[in-house]
Amino acid sequence: MPTPVYVEGAAVEIGFGDASRNLSELIFDTVRASVDDSGREMAEIDSVVLAAHDLVDGRSLSSMVTAPAAGAYLRDEIRYADDGGAALAGAMTRLEAGHAKRSIVAAWGRSSEHDPDAFSRALFDPYMSRPLGLDEFVLSGMRAQLYLATDEAREARARAARRRAEAAGANPRALKHGGFRSRPHYPLVVDDMPLWADVVASLVLSTEPTPIRVAGLGQSSEPYAFGDRPLRVIGGLRQAADRALDEAGLSGDRLDVAEVDGLTLIDEALGLEAVGYAPPGAGLRRLADDPGANPSGGGASGYSRASMGLTRVVEGVLQLRGSAGAPQRPGVRSVLASGSSTVAGQTHTVVVMVAA
Amino acid sequence: MSGPVGVIGVGQTAYKRAHTELSSADMIWAAAELALRDADLDVSAVDVIVVGVAPDALAGENGVEKTAIFGAGKPYVRVNTGGVTGSSATFAGASYIASGRARVALVIALERMGQATTSQQVFNTIFDPVYEKDFPLTTITMAAMRASMLMRVYGYSERDWAEIASRNHRHALKNPLAHIRRDLSPEDVLASPLLAWPIHRYEACPMSEGACALVLASADAAAGRDPAWIQGMASTSDSYAMGDRFHRPEGTLVDLLSLQRSATRAYADAGVTDPRRQIQVVELYSPFSSAEAMTYPALGFCAAEDGPRFVQEQLSGAPLPVFNPSGGPQTANPVSATAMVRIAECALQVRGAAGERQVDGVERAVATGQGGATQFSTVCVLGAERPA
Repeated sequence: MPTPVYVEGAAVEIGFGDASRNLSELIFDTVRASVDDSGREMAEIDSVVLAAHDLVDGRSLSSMVTAPAAGAYLRDEIRYADDGGAALAGAMTRLEAGHAKRSIVAAWGRSSEHDPDAFSRALFDPYMSRPLGLDEFVLSGMRAQLYLATDEAREARARAARRRAEAAGANPRALKHGGFRSRPHYPLVVDDMPLWADVVASLVLSTEPTPIRVAGLGQSSEPYAFGDRPLRVIGGLRQAADRALDEAGLSGDRLDVAEVDGLTLIDEALGLEAVGYAPPGAGLRRLADDPGANPSGGGASGYSRASMGLTRVVEGVLQLRGSAGAPQRPGVRSVLASGSSTVAGQTHTVVVMVAA
Repeated sequence: MSGPVGVIGVGQTAYKRAHTELSSADMIWAAAELALRDADLDVSAVDVIVVGVAPDALAGENGVEKTAIFGAGKPYVRVNTGGVTGSSATFAGASYIASGRARVALVIALERMGQATTSQQVFNTIFDPVYEKDFPLTTITMAAMRASMLMRVYGYSERDWAEIASRNHRHALKNPLAHIRRDLSPEDVLASPLLAWPIHRYEACPMSEGACALVLASADAAAGRDPAWIQGMASTSDSYAMGDRFHRPEGTLVDLLSLQRSATRAYADAGVTDPRRQIQVVELYSPFSSAEAMTYPALGFCAAEDGPRFVQEQLSGAPLPVFNPSGGPQTANPVSATAMVRIAECALQVRGAAGERQVDGVERAVATGQGGATQFSTVCVLGAERPA
């Protein structure tokens, strides 16, 4: 069994277009908050693992300026061009291998300073796919067409969207002002879409015991072409969840809280099904009726690429600590959090955390 | 390090200005296939795939590695740390194995910069868009400033830069994968056009495309094979701002503090206390001759003030490690992959599989990576002896 890894500190900040701080300052503030939360000094931290995309940050090799802001000055540092969940996995392997004793893991994305739709379109092949107008929401739209084929599903969708908005409204960390939504593709509607925001999330992980242990980690991937992916199930997420839950010795339907990343409401519903928190076909109903399903409000609380997996983990940490504020569920002992990356959830990381 | 990690497979495409006949996915697959064949494994044996691609802007494609995804169902992550992308990806793969989460990792690095009209225009965008971009600051002018500082502080000459470049070019004559294979004398180098004083064209790296892949394995997965063991690996990040690095007490801009600290840690893990005697081959990520000179003291081969003398010592045939037997980045620089190529070449040397460029009696080799504003540094020590 791998060396146990624990969460010592966590912080997330979701805002939009704060003209008083540049990206490095946003990163510094949140990473600093997570280190303060851990009660550790920077001298005790020997590893920094980051996740960010150059084309979101708006600068080639953006980690030249962002890594020092995230605490990497004269430290061992690596940047994943992936979701923060992948960075968390990378940090865990470092700690488990004994390559580091304590690691910052941080991820961010600043939607106010880039065009998320242009970013998405540029992910597709310039000759065969882009001329068709493909973006990542096309896959979500196709999934939605299948998912919303029944009156029952459409009714659950409306309730789930309402509850998601209410949860985000009650979440003290969610975006309250600003942000924007992409134009939805049929049959998606505005309420299904993520609220683009500026998001920085940060954790401090260690092998020294704390009240929160990372009990399971799983990762997986899906084919590139939409035509090669099953639409009714997110297979890569299911595999990642199976691995994480197996390691944790838990099953998805026994979890207290699931914080699942999904680009749209429909993707969140499919995500809950993939991780086993909801039975097949019941994802939207769980989002509508179960306060343990994405209690943070998910993508409605603020969304930006590269930062979502880690944001879901931070929300899970707060649930386990009993300090989530209004979204807090009673007696939380186990949480599953997931993160997915481009293209349209092609890679997945699932983390299961428990109260130690 | 816990959980020994060995390199059991190496795959490289040729390095050249542009692989116009191959898509990005084709290049990734080609290198991966060669590495897996070298390891005598197929992809079903791989537990995790780490792909290294540096700035998307160089390729003009966003998330290009995703088009090449294979073995769907496996963990598949991308690393982007600029010039050290290749070594960072290798280290990430090694951590999966050393942690016990994987027995076999496939790490691949791709450079597609042939699709950029000019790399320097793209590299200009790595600098601050408000304060620096209009200078215009590029990787060449950035290196030129360091070269002139080395000349002023330590007494290097343009001739030293030319001697280093000439040696690297002559080594590349034995490397069929090198992008530039020309027998260039120091005089040829000095006669080549100035890019930014004191850097002449033949002291600078070319724009190269190519892909490199390694198969990494745990001790049990490597059983019965002849791996190059990773005995030590370390990376260090430094400040971005070059001006902040002139007068700080820890070391100046040309002291390459990030490489020095990485070497200290990697050597400690590998048990290297006398690098001149204990290391037989050094593969450096030095895209310019002057950048190579900065590594000598950082890696413990000489004192900083003795650098120019160390260049002459190498030329005199003194018993020293062989630097860049592959020709190094001045003869092929697929930026995203270059730091992995250094590890690959060291692994081949340790395994005695480097072909015509093989150095006799290699027990231990050192590969470096260098990236960002000369701020990201990696050191990887590979050897024939399995770490405890």
